[in-house]
Amino acid sequence: MLGEIFSDYTLRTVSIGSAVVGACGAVIGSFAVLRRQSLVGDALTHSALPGIVLAFIVTGSKDISVLLTGAFISAFIGAAFMRFIIKNTQIKEDTSLGIVLSVFFGLGIVLLTYVQKQPDATQAGLETFLFGQAATIMQRDVVFMSVVMLVILGVVFTFWKEFKLLVFDAEYGQSSGFNMRYMDILLTVLMVLAIVLGLQTVGVVLMSAMVVAPAASARQWTDKMGIMVLLSAVFGAFSAVIGAVVSSLYTKLPTGPVIVVVLSSVVFVSLVLSPRRGIFWQLVKYEKNKRALRLEATLAALRELSMQHEDKCHGHEECVLRVMKSEGAPLGKTLRLLSQKGWATEVTRGKWAITEEGLKEADKFLHLIKDNNQ
Amino acid sequence: MVTETNTHVSAIKIEDLTVAYRDKPVLWDVDLDVPAGVLMAVSGPNGAGKTTLIKSILGLIKPVAGQVQVFGMSYRQNRKTVAYVPQKSSVDWDFPTDVLDVVLMGRYGHLGWIKRPGKKDKDLAKEALDKVGMLHLSYRQINQLSGGQKQRVFLARALVQDAMVYLMDEPFQGIDAVTERTIIGLLKELRSLGKTVLVVHHDLQTVKEYFDRIALLNIRLIVAGAVDDIFTDENLKKTYGGLKTF
Repeated sequence: MLGEIFSDYTLRTVSIGSAVVGACGAVIGSFAVLRRQSLVGDALTHSALPGIVLAFIVTGSKDISVLLTGAFISAFIGAAFMRFIIKNTQIKEDTSLGIVLSVFFGLGIVLLTYVQKQPDATQAGLETFLFGQAATIMQRDVVFMSVVMLVILGVVFTFWKEFKLLVFDAEYGQSSGFNMRYMDILLTVLMVLAIVLGLQTVGVVLMSAMVVAPAASARQWTDKMGIMVLLSAVFGAFSAVIGAVVSSLYTKLPTGPVIVVVLSSVVFVSLVLSPRRGIFWQLVKYEKNKRALRLEATLAALRELSMQHEDKCHGHEECVLRVMKSEGAPLGKTLRLLSQKGWATEVTRGKWAITEEGLKEADKFLHLIKDNNQ
Repeated sequence: MVTETNTHVSAIKIEDLTVAYRDKPVLWDVDLDVPAGVLMAVSGPNGAGKTTLIKSILGLIKPVAGQVQVFGMSYRQNRKTVAYVPQKSSVDWDFPTDVLDVVLMGRYGHLGWIKRPGKKDKDLAKEALDKVGMLHLSYRQINQLSGGQKQRVFLARALVQDAMVYLMDEPFQGIDAVTERTIIGLLKELRSLGKTVLVVHHDLQTVKEYFDRIALLNIRLIVAGAVDDIFTDENLKKTYGGLKTF
């Protein structure tokens, strides 16, 4: 299949274009996710729609650069509107997102429906902007998209330190002499650019997934911001390419939804299987801790019992141990594990004693507990 | 305690400061003179405007009226002489980075736009981490820190700003006893180096032990001066509305 992609002209164009779209959305999305503004992308993509249709109505052209310019202006107005609402009314951020998203998208749909009702057929194809159609990407578009990507990456790289301040501690950044409002506006412009880039491929409705999903997945695998952004870009590009190629091979399958299906599996695997943060490994760790605690508790009980006897090898009944340890845990298994480690020994059937090794081990962790409490 | 020759130099001079959120005043006509070289507490009940006062000094909040001067100039002109320790709850500690990286942010103000921190900055950051007893945790993820350790990281970040004035918002909130001793030790050391430290402080029990000056605030400035002179039951009643006595 890989060979096919690179020999077939259309597939190659579609793949490169989609990779660019995925990478850009994912890089900017990382900042949005870390700022807890994941849904800003959603509002901005939806507010791009009226711009696309209006650009067509005004110019009569379906040239992609014309339509995307309209989308850019419209999405930017949406962003400004959102900011205006938050600043000048008592309405909170989430509500203002909802307002902008629904108002702009509603307006876009009304305009789109109006245009489609026109008798001539020149408007045909505008509706592909809803769910995206990667097959419509031309080589000329790919060049333009790559240039935009270079600009986005260049700005992110140049202002890396300032963006980090904005995301982590904007007030501290402001107090250190960096105008965080400028950085915020710059990030918004980059986000609008990244989104507009993806409208043709992924579409208005699902572009926000391209912004949020790769970043959220990447966060699961790393604790370094730089690696997170890189990984996010890889996830985004990978999903976009797979989705675009699949949708191009099966005609009439809109690209956006296919990409989202691929992205979902990336998110699922990341949430479940990533080390440290993944649900699966957290469960494993939890069980391991539980077992270790059980061992320690039983060992401590044996140690305490041995203190009461001159003869260290004196065996103690299991039922005594059962009373001393935490309830609910299987004692037999714990004792067997202890004897496997050589920390306890079954003197006679059902009677247990701690070994020299076991005593040393018990002293070790009892000391640890004491140190931690100091 | 504080030499009188120092007191006529103002590190921070606040005049007629009034701040309002919408129609509600948060600070009302506050005049406060923080002499250079003192360790001053800012205390008052919840909603008294303590954090707002700090943020107004830093130019983070635009006042309705009044002005703030740092060593006789505006904050903008003199910002490099001021270091800031925000409340540790003001940031998301799940941010993907390590301790050293956060402390390095204290160097950003000196570096200016675009320039990245270099070896010298790293050395300074490690030196500051050593001072707060966190050097061995330089590469620890910040989401694995205890409350006290987070506060030390923020303090180290302020120390590498190498400032004259330190503004701290509740540095003793939710930390362990060891960290509290470490921090107050460092603050007293800063004072002995001639630095000025202004601390939003809640625990009235420790005011006499920790600070030489105090400002009692409840939207208006109730009173400010030497702890020995003004830290009285009467002034506390005026500030806390009779709810707290000492």
